Amino acid sequence: MDMFILLGSFTLLMIVGMPVAYALGLASLVGAIWIDLPLDAVMIQVASGVNKFSLLAIPFFVLAGALMAEGGMSRRLVAFASVLVGFVRGGLSLVNILASTFFGGISGSAVADTASIGSVLIPEMERKGYPRDFSTALTVSGSIQAILIPPSHNMVIYSMAAGGSVSVAALFFAGLLPGLLLGGMLAAYCLYVARKKNFPTGEVIPLRQALKICVDAMWGLMTMVIILGGIMSGVFTANESASIAVIWAFFVTMFIYRDYKWRDLPKLVHRTVKTVTVVMILIGFAASFGYVMTLMQIPLKITTMFTTLTSNTYLILFYINIMLLILGTLMDMAPLILILTPILLPVVKTLGVDPVHFGIIIMVNLGIGLLTPPVGSVLFVGSAVGKLSIEALVKAMYPFFGVLLLLLALVTYWPALTLWLPRMMGV
Amino acid sequence: MRQSLLKAFDILYLACIWSAGIAIFFMSIIIPVGVFARYVLGFGAQWPEPIAILLMVVFTFLGAAAAYRAGAHISVAMLTDRLSASSQKVCLYMVDLSMLVICLFGVVYGSKLCLGTMGQNLAELPWLPVGLTYAPLPLGAFLTLLFVVEKIIFGSQHLRSIVRFDHSLEESEVTTAGA
Repeated sequence: MDMFILLGSFTLLMIVGMPVAYALGLASLVGAIWIDLPLDAVMIQVASGVNKFSLLAIPFFVLAGALMAEGGMSRRLVAFASVLVGFVRGGLSLVNILASTFFGGISGSAVADTASIGSVLIPEMERKGYPRDFSTALTVSGSIQAILIPPSHNMVIYSMAAGGSVSVAALFFAGLLPGLLLGGMLAAYCLYVARKKNFPTGEVIPLRQALKICVDAMWGLMTMVIILGGIMSGVFTANESASIAVIWAFFVTMFIYRDYKWRDLPKLVHRTVKTVTVVMILIGFAASFGYVMTLMQIPLKITTMFTTLTSNTYLILFYINIMLLILGTLMDMAPLILILTPILLPVVKTLGVDPVHFGIIIMVNLGIGLLTPPVGSVLFVGSAVGKLSIEALVKAMYPFFGVLLLLLALVTYWPALTLWLPRMMGV
Repeated sequence: MRQSLLKAFDILYLACIWSAGIAIFFMSIIIPVGVFARYVLGFGAQWPEPIAILLMVVFTFLGAAAAYRAGAHISVAMLTDRLSASSQKVCLYMVDLSMLVICLFGVVYGSKLCLGTMGQNLAELPWLPVGLTYAPLPLGAFLTLLFVVEKIIFGSQHLRSIVRFDHSLEESEVTTAGA
């Protein structure tokens, strides 16, 4: 009955259209009243949910990414990727993937990736003879690298939702290989399509021009070095590297690239405030929801339910993947991470699955959810940037969904893919 | 009267955005200052961490109030979009009522938490009462409450030019949070 009251009230509030963050808060209140918990305890949980030093990394990573994305970084990354891979048959599709890989290493946002890379590359690809639906579907699928390749603010959210017991650094390193593997798999598929459909071969960029492009892109790519290098060397914590990345991104955007106008900064502040605070308040209310859920022993009940269903780890992970894929089509990534992690983490821990490994499983599942209707923010942005109907885009996405599901299977059933690097790095 | 009230709400909205914006600006500076103190000046400063957290609380609760007026919060409209106009209206009333309840909870219990911890001080900054660090919580809840009341009386204001001035092509279609 406890479970019905808490989850039922949350679902009802969500269905009628209440913002998810506030629905979590109000459902916590209903749950607290049901179990005679003083409401002051709920308020303390909301306050302490946001009052955590490790949360600072989220606004910093988003702000650094926004500064680089709007400051002309995508154009430079596309040029840099063109130097590296643009000269082969179907080169522009590889440029699209590689630019997303680099962009992912700076912004960590699949939406920003699709909007920035897509607005530069989709028209260019169409001009060079690539079908628009293919170019858009590729841009949208490639953007999932941003969620896996560090820095990813969703991984910070997962770390928080896991009660801070999972290190952000370990998650960052765990996501790197799956992110690169996704890029590699998409590249292999694009090379196959390029041969089959006779896509054009790109031009080799002259050495002098190539060098200039590389130097230009290096300023932005240094952001990635600051973040990863700082954490890897132990010089900075995740928060510190994120804040230094903001300063660096601001310096590069305003003083080196100078594409962004000072008068446009208020718009950036406006946008960042609205984008980040909705996630931060979600974290606060999710803390109270998680607290009430724990007092009701809901995670324990769900663990028992799963383990009585079957003792086969692979099968339970399969069920969890199906559940996450379905929920991912209905809701955005951050709220799902915050709601489901406290419920599912005890289940997989009981089965001996490493929490870092599980974090990456969640990222891939919910990342795919961002590309699927009815609620797929990356899909919507892709459709707007590519000027393509949702239906046409989803149709073009079919082979790419195949690639993403293959990645999901590899990430789920090959733990070394995620755990090898963090163990090597000792994080 | 209506226009003057809406203008007053515009001012409140901008105050929330700019308070949050200034908070994130100082947060971004304070942490590197701590790193500089540790590695260059050779001492670990105590104050950057609690001050940055305080600014983050300001950023979160005041920014979230503005985000409510801008309609930026993540919500699931998939089902309500398919309902008839009259059913949608009922859902909207339910949401508004629920928002009033959660905001009132924030104002009342947030204020209780602030007052209850006013006598305690932060270990790193003994001059700073703990209650003060929680103050953005009831304040943010109160501002959200005002925006909820505004929405009930005047309807949603998320299309006002002052709210949409930051919109570009890629953001006009979706809420980008969480992705």
